[in-house]
Amino acid sequence: MKNLIASVLVFVALTSQAQAACYADYKAKQDDPLRLQYGVAQINGSCTVLDAATELAPRLATDSWKLLEVMSVFDDAGLEERRDSAGEFFLRY
Amino acid sequence: MTRDLRKGVTVQESSSSAIETRQTGNRVVVAGIAAIVLILLIAAILLFLNLPDANAFNARVERLFVENATLTTRLEISLLEILAQSGTAFSDTLSSYRFVIFVLLVFSTALLIAAVAFLVMLITMNRRMGQIERKGIEVNSLLIARDQNTVYLNNFEFKLTEAAIETLSVLAEARMDDEVLSGAEIEAVISGRDAADCDEAAGATRIKRLRDTLGNQMVSELLVKNIARRGYMLAIDKSVIRMV
Repeated sequence: MKNLIASVLVFVALTSQAQAACYADYKAKQDDPLRLQYGVAQINGSCTVLDAATELAPRLATDSWKLLEVMSVFDDAGLEERRDSAGEFFLRY
Repeated sequence: MTRDLRKGVTVQESSSSAIETRQTGNRVVVAGIAAIVLILLIAAILLFLNLPDANAFNARVERLFVENATLTTRLEISLLEILAQSGTAFSDTLSSYRFVIFVLLVFSTALLIAAVAFLVMLITMNRRMGQIERKGIEVNSLLIARDQNTVYLNNFEFKLTEAAIETLSVLAEARMDDEVLSGAEIEAVISGRDAADCDEAAGATRIKRLRDTLGNQMVSELLVKNIARRGYMLAIDKSVIRMV
């Protein structure tokens, strides 16, 4: 009984975490030659466009991508429709 | 006689004014060349400032990408990248054009400067030629070879007597010191006596002998030519002869 409650609690915690998962789609570029990227990335911090931008910029910079703009933030529901467009950059950074 | 005198005066005036015109002409040349260089320099600077750089195309494409929210699929993005690459290739061509234009500008500067310089040279040469033609003979060099008793006026060689060479040398030395010698002084220098003991007429005689021998040879060289075994002829263009 105690076990069951615990497992339920863990399940709830997991699902709630899954529901709170936050993603952002962004546009980035590389110079010389100009390369453009549309990608989707998971955001660990607070789920706003501004915070997503501050979080993403250094992550992209490790591969010398320069963040142009964060277009929007969304949760799991918006993930699938963007999979095709993002292509290789889907959840890469 | 008076006419000749007046003519001499006008020649003097025109030669001094010719020097003035040459000085102002030089100033005009320097100003003109400076203006040419300045204009072409400004043109070159404007050229380099106004041609778009390689990043202009990339910046446009980037703005297009950011401003259009719907341009997110792979296909559209790669099309945008191709657009940017072709723009960059075109801007490479532009920069080579820019270099070619710059080289042409440098060439045109050099040519314009040369043209101005040659034009001015031509004008001054013409003026000088006109003066020389009117003056008759202008002595550009006088070389006295005392041991050969010869004097070279320009390229003409004249044989003189020893006494005449002596007189000419004295006059040349006096000229170099900007001095004017009287007949007595000339006689004093040549004979080695004091000027007070010398006769004015003796010096005048020496001058007369110098003029006679030198003048005779100059006229025979320049005007009355002696053609060997044939006779005598005026050494001038026949179109310049007029009888009044």
